[in-house]
Amino acid sequence: MRLEKCWFCSSTVYPGHGIKFVRNDAKIFRFCRSKCHKNFKMKRNPCKVKWTKAYRRLHGKDMTQDSTFEFERKRNRPERYDRNLAENTLKAIKKIDKIRSDRASDHIKNRLKTGKVQRQKEARKQLELGIHLVKASLALAQDSSLCLPKIKVNVSQAQTEENQPMEE
Amino acid sequence: MIQPQTHLNVADNSGARELVCIRIIGASNRRYAHICDIIVAVIKEIVLNTPLERSEVIIAIIVRTHKELKHDNGMIIRYDDNVAVVIDQEGNPKGTQIFGIVDETQFTMGKDTIANIKTSIRNADMNRKGTIQIGYLNKK
Repeated sequence: MRLEKCWFCSSTVYPGHGIKFVRNDAKIFRFCRSKCHKNFKMKRNPCKVKWTKAYRRLHGKDMTQDSTFEFERKRNRPERYDRNLAENTLKAIKKIDKIRSDRASDHIKNRLKTGKVQRQKEARKQLELGIHLVKASLALAQDSSLCLPKIKVNVSQAQTEENQPMEE
Repeated sequence: MIQPQTHLNVADNSGARELVCIRIIGASNRRYAHICDIIVAVIKEIVLNTPLERSEVIIAIIVRTHKELKHDNGMIIRYDDNVAVVIDQEGNPKGTQIFGIVDETQFTMGKDTIANIKTSIRNADMNRKGTIQIGYLNKK
């Protein structure tokens, strides 16, 4: 029994799942589910389809180079069974998995770090424009404690009349 | 899912090139044939200078179908075309080589006809003559 990778999305195909397509030149395509199979039949290129691992690796969204990947290479030589080796391997698989997923999430975190200030600025702007959805303007005027400390919301009558055409 | 009127390519060097299925051997009202089923077919296209003639009615066994084949262990395999191999009444193949991909484990169990073709698939000098044989599950 071998856990294969889906040709389209690179997720693992467990036994009993998915379809295997054998092309006439003997190339075998494995699909994890009909979604991937149908995309393949539509002749879509997985490197251009955003939710696939191939796209993410190609565009630097996910980690590509790491020493933990070396452990999971396909080896065609069967190992002679050794109980100690098998035991150690099973323990190691868990550890390596954890290390790999930690490194992968770190990679994503670092990637998202650079946009943090920009995202905060955008969030602040959105709150300022949409404060009427959070709290009614009259209530804001009456109770100044409901205002957010850093945002100045001018709720004079002239101002609201001016703002209305803008909001529309 | 081969039924009468289905055009099938031929995967051996018996001389036929294209067959049209006429009848599926088995139960009287059998609708569809899959891999490993025997059909009666008529030859539509031949390779020149071979013993088989056009419009000759022959028996063939299906080796590849475009429709998925479901194994009991949950594995589903689909090929790229519908292909058959010409055999005779006893089940011996008429050609000497089989071209293309054949899943030989499909022909392991059951009747003698199938066993014969399996032996001949194994005996055929496949790898050197440009034919490819894929094993079952674990090999690829």
